[in-house]
Amino acid sequence: MKNNINIMNKIVCFSFFLLAFVSCKHHENEYHSVTDKIEAESKDYHGTSMSSEAYLSEIKTIEITEGEHTFLIPERKSQIKSYACTECHSKPLAQMKSKDLKKAHWDIKMDHANANTMNCVTCHNPDNMDDLKSLTGHAIDFNTSYNLCNQCHTKQFEDWKGGAHGKRIGGWAPPRASMTCVNCHDPHKPHFESRWPARFNTQKEKERK
Amino acid sequence: MSNNSKKWFSLNLGRKEKTSSGSCSCGKTSGGCGGHSNAHQMTDEAFNEAAINASIGEERTKDGFEQVFDVKMDRRSAFKKLTASLLIGAGAVSTSCSVISGDESKEKAQIDWEEQFKGNYKLMTDKEKEGTVDRLVRSYQLRTGKNISMSSKNAEEDVLFGYAFNISKCQGYMDCVNACVEENNQDRNSEMQYIRIHEMKDGKGFNFNEADDNYYHEVPAQGHFYMGTQCFHCDNPPCVEVCPVQATWREDDGLVVVDYDWCVGCRYCMAACPYDGRRFNWSKPEVPEAEINHNQHYLGNRMRKKGVMEKCTFCVQRSRAGKNPACVEACPTGARIFGNLLDPDSTIRWVLENKKVFRLKEDLGTEPKFWYFMD
Repeated sequence: MKNNINIMNKIVCFSFFLLAFVSCKHHENEYHSVTDKIEAESKDYHGTSMSSEAYLSEIKTIEITEGEHTFLIPERKSQIKSYACTECHSKPLAQMKSKDLKKAHWDIKMDHANANTMNCVTCHNPDNMDDLKSLTGHAIDFNTSYNLCNQCHTKQFEDWKGGAHGKRIGGWAPPRASMTCVNCHDPHKPHFESRWPARFNTQKEKERK
Repeated sequence: MSNNSKKWFSLNLGRKEKTSSGSCSCGKTSGGCGGHSNAHQMTDEAFNEAAINASIGEERTKDGFEQVFDVKMDRRSAFKKLTASLLIGAGAVSTSCSVISGDESKEKAQIDWEEQFKGNYKLMTDKEKEGTVDRLVRSYQLRTGKNISMSSKNAEEDVLFGYAFNISKCQGYMDCVNACVEENNQDRNSEMQYIRIHEMKDGKGFNFNEADDNYYHEVPAQGHFYMGTQCFHCDNPPCVEVCPVQATWREDDGLVVVDYDWCVGCRYCMAACPYDGRRFNWSKPEVPEAEINHNQHYLGNRMRKKGVMEKCTFCVQRSRAGKNPACVEACPTGARIFGNLLDPDSTIRWVLENKKVFRLKEDLGTEPKFWYFMD
């Protein structure tokens, strides 16, 4: 009798042991969290067949390398209507300010930092209008004007390089193409304007009354 | 059955393209139409078999025809379930028997029949997926005379889609909402929207009770910040768990999708979703013909019908083609970031690794793949 109970006990214990191994093997619990899963599954990532190259064909881009990031940004010079600047700016600025010359750039109102910090020649080079200039007087190409912005906006620059700041163009698939600073921000007036929302949901309004 | 590889019984309506197998020989005046009686035989067989050895547990592996008919039920409810199918069958038969009905209406009836008996998209082979997509495209062409392109592209290997939302960048313009509605052919009458932009008071934190998701004034309003919610494509989605017919599931690239043709409209998923990510079609969705987006995916923005669930699919028709979802493309502030979580060099991965990110209701264990962060 005692022997029987012993055997029974053993069988019960054994089946519990088996159950614990068999029943708890759910595939979805393979990882503790989605971050673990991402880390594990991206270890042997070899790239995909997807490419967003086709969606970039309509815009002219240039490749830049900043730190460990290499990506495309839109080419700028061909998009500036009045480039090259020296087509008009043939004489030094002081001479061009005279009253008998045609007025230009009347639509530009500086609203960037304050007059104490910035004026036109903080970024523009009065001696060579076709290039921009850094705070220390080094020439900066119009195509890589982000080098001008990152003198002050260092945090935004870090985020932009990584991809947390600035809009992607084309698609999510490589190659990466991102808007550069001046594609979204007017450098003379960099803030976003307030405006009305694109739509209002009248049905939602009715339902909630 | 004319085709053995199919999981359901096919009608042959004697259309010109196909050779007649004699299943519907309507020259006969007695005994009715062959096609009709044949359909009855099939269901009787299925019914008898089902009565003997059906079990609900097998439903997981069963597909289409079997999942509907091969279950234990009494005769009355069985006939009830058959009514809809028979109506379509009757329609098909009457078309095929009619002398005056043209080849087009026969084809339409054939498509209706095949669509009625097709299986769950999740269980379809690639060939079957192509089949149903071709039928839907053809059916749209027959009904409206317009062409659409519909994709049945499967999830790509080594891709897991993820999304990040920059709260400090969003200005509440709602351009994303506009783009989403246009891209995904949502019902214009009920103004269905997948995305909600919440206007929150500064200093109150994420207080959804006091937030306004239907504001109309100049934005950004002073003393407020904005954040958007939509389907978060959870890695452990509760909506999928509760679906009684498995009409919604998680694809391998992480997208949580709905088979609109398999959905029975019980709205369990809507109740289960802790993020209000799902929408229900209370009426027949209507989109003006000129505004319909013709670039469609079976699991995405194809036209829905009344009484089915739908939701954000991260624009599956775009994302599986390498593009960004419409909301990402429309956002003028760059607050929306989308990408492949498995690609260590992707921008979304940089955001997750370098910014202080969080998700909504993380403690529920739903593992949403939609992160929020601030500058």
